[in-house]
Amino acid sequence: MKINLDEIFDYTSFSVDREAHIVLESDQCTSCDQRACVVCCPARCYSWDEEARKMTFVHDGCLECGTCYVVCRKEAFSRWRYPRGGFGVSFRMT
Amino acid sequence: MNRNFDAIVVGAGPAGSSAALTMARAGLKVALLERGAFPGEKNMFGGVLHRLTALEDIFPDFWNQAPLERHIVKKALTFMTGESSFNVNFDTEVSDRTPYNGYTVSRPKFDRWLADEAVKAGATLLNRSTVDNVVKEGKQVVGVTLLRDGSELRAPIVIAADGVLSFTAQKAGLRRAQFNPSHLAVGVKALIDMPKEVIDDRFGLVRDQGASNEIVGCTSGVRGGGFLYTNYDSLSVGLVLHLSSLSQGTKTPYDLLNEFMAQPQMAKLLRGGQLQEYSAHLVPEGGLEMVPQIDGDGILVAGDAAGMCIVTGLNLEGINLATQSGVIAGQTAIKAHQEGNFTRFVLRDYRKLLEKTYVIKDLRLYRRTPQMLHNDRIYRQYPEFVCGLMDEIYRIDGTPKQSMTKMLLGAARKTIGLKNLMADVYAGWRAL
Repeated sequence: MKINLDEIFDYTSFSVDREAHIVLESDQCTSCDQRACVVCCPARCYSWDEEARKMTFVHDGCLECGTCYVVCRKEAFSRWRYPRGGFGVSFRMT
Repeated sequence: MNRNFDAIVVGAGPAGSSAALTMARAGLKVALLERGAFPGEKNMFGGVLHRLTALEDIFPDFWNQAPLERHIVKKALTFMTGESSFNVNFDTEVSDRTPYNGYTVSRPKFDRWLADEAVKAGATLLNRSTVDNVVKEGKQVVGVTLLRDGSELRAPIVIAADGVLSFTAQKAGLRRAQFNPSHLAVGVKALIDMPKEVIDDRFGLVRDQGASNEIVGCTSGVRGGGFLYTNYDSLSVGLVLHLSSLSQGTKTPYDLLNEFMAQPQMAKLLRGGQLQEYSAHLVPEGGLEMVPQIDGDGILVAGDAAGMCIVTGLNLEGINLATQSGVIAGQTAIKAHQEGNFTRFVLRDYRKLLEKTYVIKDLRLYRRTPQMLHNDRIYRQYPEFVCGLMDEIYRIDGTPKQSMTKMLLGAARKTIGLKNLMADVYAGWRAL
């Protein structure tokens, strides 16, 4: 039994909105000394490339938990809201 | 659609639907807004719903009316290390009799049912409606705008039951934009399919009896704990992790969950199960200290949005507090309509009424608990101590034994330190 986030779309349903509900100004992340989002996000939406010193964010598999909103030290979001009605994650059994 | 209502409830979770149900039954014209395609679609929790005393007048035989998985008769606390686990079980026939003390439930089913009950009572449920902002006239909240099309809904009172991040309360100016990470924990959960008969045999259950198990020591030293709950024909297994501790480490929530599920004793319980769904949600664990202002001009805040959650390490209460606060928010709105006054001078009755219930009383009683639980030793040293001691007591290796008192003191000195032990016992005694 293993959670493999490469396969998250196989077991958690999403209705992905093309318009992102979270917009990250990733320039801010370069000067962040913690980047807690990378380790805390339960959906692996944030990845930090140390060599390129670049943060990549994808909103597709976002579970809408709010962890990044709480742990971000840099107020790096120019938008953080829930998806438009009807879009985003859809829990069926939980 | 007419866009004027007597009350707008933001969020069709347990708090919001309880408020909407209460007001609709009194004849108010209520709009119940849900951002999901249906109520419960966005909601996730560990899995145990405690007895909802606030709804017992409305649903006298709740257990026959609500969609429930199993009622809990067995409660266990486990101290776990990489190889061992020490269980404390409490199994009682008392919990097998109605009114049941708690249940496992599936939120997409349960929340939908409760919202439908509000609709049956006359409330208007608007799905796919994410609130964008509150509408104010001077200081008075008089409605909300929807993200969908920027349209406006108006009512003299808005009840913000939009969950832990409550942007509605924030936009109304009732809470600060920044959260303190030490007030919040993230819950991650795997829903695992398993035939009912297998669950019954494995956990020693019959009919629709259920078991709940809280586990400490299974988080690689991150402050938090694990849970394992039996649904009718599935298991809920997951972790709740304090953000201020998780952010200091190197392991992600799913790494930790995978390690937890692979721990030998856990793996035996989960064997043969199929992963059905993975989910995550924040838990407001700050206790009384994180409760924002819950009343304003034209607005009340209820449930998780108001930080109403009690964590003692043994129990995690949220939905019972949410429904209680929702009902009282609804009653306050009814009174405001009778008086024709929606300013905070009338709406502050909400807080006064809540103060008289277990909601604020228990939050106050356990106000020191969140701080007490921010002690890394609970998650690292104590499980090692307990399991190490039991191993020493039971182990037969051909050498003469020490007295059990000596073993206990020796193990405590080695893993925790006697000074720390005394300090922790004192802190625990004060907090619980």
